[in-house]
Amino acid sequence: MNTPLLEIEDLHAKVAGKEIIKGFNLVINEGEVHAIMGPNGAGKSTLSYLLSGKPGYEITSGTVKFRGRDLMALPAEDRAREGVFLIMQYPVEIPGVPVTSFLKHAVNAVRKYHGEPELDTMEFIKMVREEGRKLGIDAEMLKRPVNVGFSGGEKKRLETLQMAVLKPQLAILDEADSGLDIDALKVVADGVNSLRDGKRSLLVITHYQRLLNYIVPDFVHVFADGHIVKSGGKNLALELEEKGYAEFVKEK
Amino acid sequence: MAGLIQNIELFGADFPRLEGLREKGRAAFRLPTPKTEAWKYTRLHTLKAEDFAVPASKFIAEFEDESGDEDAAESCHCGKDGCDGHHCNGHCHGPDCRLDLPFNAWQLHFYNGQFVPIYPALPRGVEVMTLMEALLNGEENHLLGKYIELNDYPFAALNTAYLEEGLFIRIGRGVRLERPLMLINHTDCGEINQMTHMRFLVVAEEEAAADLLEYYHYSGEAKSRYFNNIVSEIYLGTGAVLNHCKLQDEAFKAVHIALTTVQVRGGGVYNGFCLQKGADLGRNETRVRLVDREAKAEVNAAYVMNGWATLDTTTDIEHLAERTFSSQLIKGVVGGEAKGVFQGKIRIAPDAQETEGRQLHKAILLSDNAEVDVKPELEIYADNVKCSHGAACGELDQEQLFYMRSRGIGEDEARRILIDAYLDDVIGRVQNPEIREWFRSRV
Repeated sequence: MNTPLLEIEDLHAKVAGKEIIKGFNLVINEGEVHAIMGPNGAGKSTLSYLLSGKPGYEITSGTVKFRGRDLMALPAEDRAREGVFLIMQYPVEIPGVPVTSFLKHAVNAVRKYHGEPELDTMEFIKMVREEGRKLGIDAEMLKRPVNVGFSGGEKKRLETLQMAVLKPQLAILDEADSGLDIDALKVVADGVNSLRDGKRSLLVITHYQRLLNYIVPDFVHVFADGHIVKSGGKNLALELEEKGYAEFVKEK
Repeated sequence: MAGLIQNIELFGADFPRLEGLREKGRAAFRLPTPKTEAWKYTRLHTLKAEDFAVPASKFIAEFEDESGDEDAAESCHCGKDGCDGHHCNGHCHGPDCRLDLPFNAWQLHFYNGQFVPIYPALPRGVEVMTLMEALLNGEENHLLGKYIELNDYPFAALNTAYLEEGLFIRIGRGVRLERPLMLINHTDCGEINQMTHMRFLVVAEEEAAADLLEYYHYSGEAKSRYFNNIVSEIYLGTGAVLNHCKLQDEAFKAVHIALTTVQVRGGGVYNGFCLQKGADLGRNETRVRLVDREAKAEVNAAYVMNGWATLDTTTDIEHLAERTFSSQLIKGVVGGEAKGVFQGKIRIAPDAQETEGRQLHKAILLSDNAEVDVKPELEIYADNVKCSHGAACGELDQEQLFYMRSRGIGEDEARRILIDAYLDDVIGRVQNPEIREWFRSRV
């Protein structure tokens, strides 16, 4: 059997001295789409930050392997370069840095890591415009500083654009639908779905089932109190929508 | 130890106007102490600990050289790498002689604080001559030192005591320059602790418009110690516009102290910008007098520093007439054990009604040991004015850093991008787009 893309084993982690992740297990193989659903405060965002390497999150025990390598030993930038990409719930504004130049820094940093030559500027701009068009991002928006003055929908489109140009192996979507109207949600979902080629994998973290109508998962996990309390197929999401989380939270 | 005032032979000692000025400078000079209010944040120990030597007067040497064979004297035969044998009066400094700039400029070069007498082909209506010529033939018109109280500006006093090197630049009435005038000082003083005193007198007559760019860099040993002490006096006539930019990129053990005084007449506009990134001790002080109605000034600055340096930006904007306007944006990036200083004064005279004065200083500290001292001062004697000042100090945003790293951008590169972005708005105020890009590339 092939090595799983992501393998999390009995993970425990603390934030500011408080244990948030308590015995978390998950295996994601190539091409699979997993959804993690859970009530507010279950530790969903903590999990996404842990995987992407945000400072301030302390792992007390357990392992996280990405293609068999210890992911936690890598700094945040190397995780991204290895192919882990986080679509953030609240993307950060960076005044003074235009979208295009930001994307160029990111793409070239990743290429350099893999020993590939930097992209020619004209080629790059053409590629970004092309990908942007698919997501309803016009040339004017590409000139604006990253996320500054962007609406909720524009921010998520830009996250999706970054994912489209960086082409990660594993994309983690942290509440990707928050702040989105239905049209923007479709655009983002289409962008994410276009990455599904049987090899790339997705980890969709969400509170509501709504997003999963558009990004249909192979597996659904219920996440409560720092670990997975139940796993199932895509129908589990519907069940959750109907019954709420209370029942599952009690189960433990 | 020799003091900073030394008894050396200067040109034109028998010329009363010149020697009179020097005597005033010698009499007024006192090295500031920690108790001197205008210098309380800026340590001068580097100046106290070292001996500095003034290069021998070139004017005396030239006038004593009776050979008259100027061409031979000016052609370079140094054979240094990069020397193309062009005229540089023996002061060849290799490839730096012709700066490779991304824009066209009328370049005027100084080498170790001494003018290299090669004049670019200037358009009609612009005159450039050495200060000594301007003084001897009366062109200077008693403007030199007219508005500098030497007792309040000790380094201007020191500069005046050594008055000799420098230029007089006059941009005639209505002349609009299509290229920047650029003053470039190359320092390469080897083992000598050299002290230089350059002086510039710039007159832009009515409705004239020009870009003036100053550039200080070193082309010698990175560790060389030297002291460049510069005074510039700028007079803008009615409706004249001067965009004045400066890049201070001295060697990291150097001392660079500069005072620029600007007088703006009615409707005139002075746009100043100075980026300080070199020197162990650097001070860029700008004093502006808005003397007539609707005179305007922008005095913007940036400083980027590391190590143990102290970089000081000091401003003093005097609104002396109605409906005058001034704006200041100063941004600093301080790392290591370095210290940034900003002292900004806005003074509004009783008659200067309906004026506006704005000031904002912001800095980011990159390390725990970095320091910024800020002293804003407003002296307002008129009642119908808009005045504001603000100061903010912070660190690089950790959320922004993580966001960039989570996209594969390495931490060092992310920091650099954020620092460039931080300075982008102040550099963005440089009027000339080519010069603006040059500054962006030099941060």
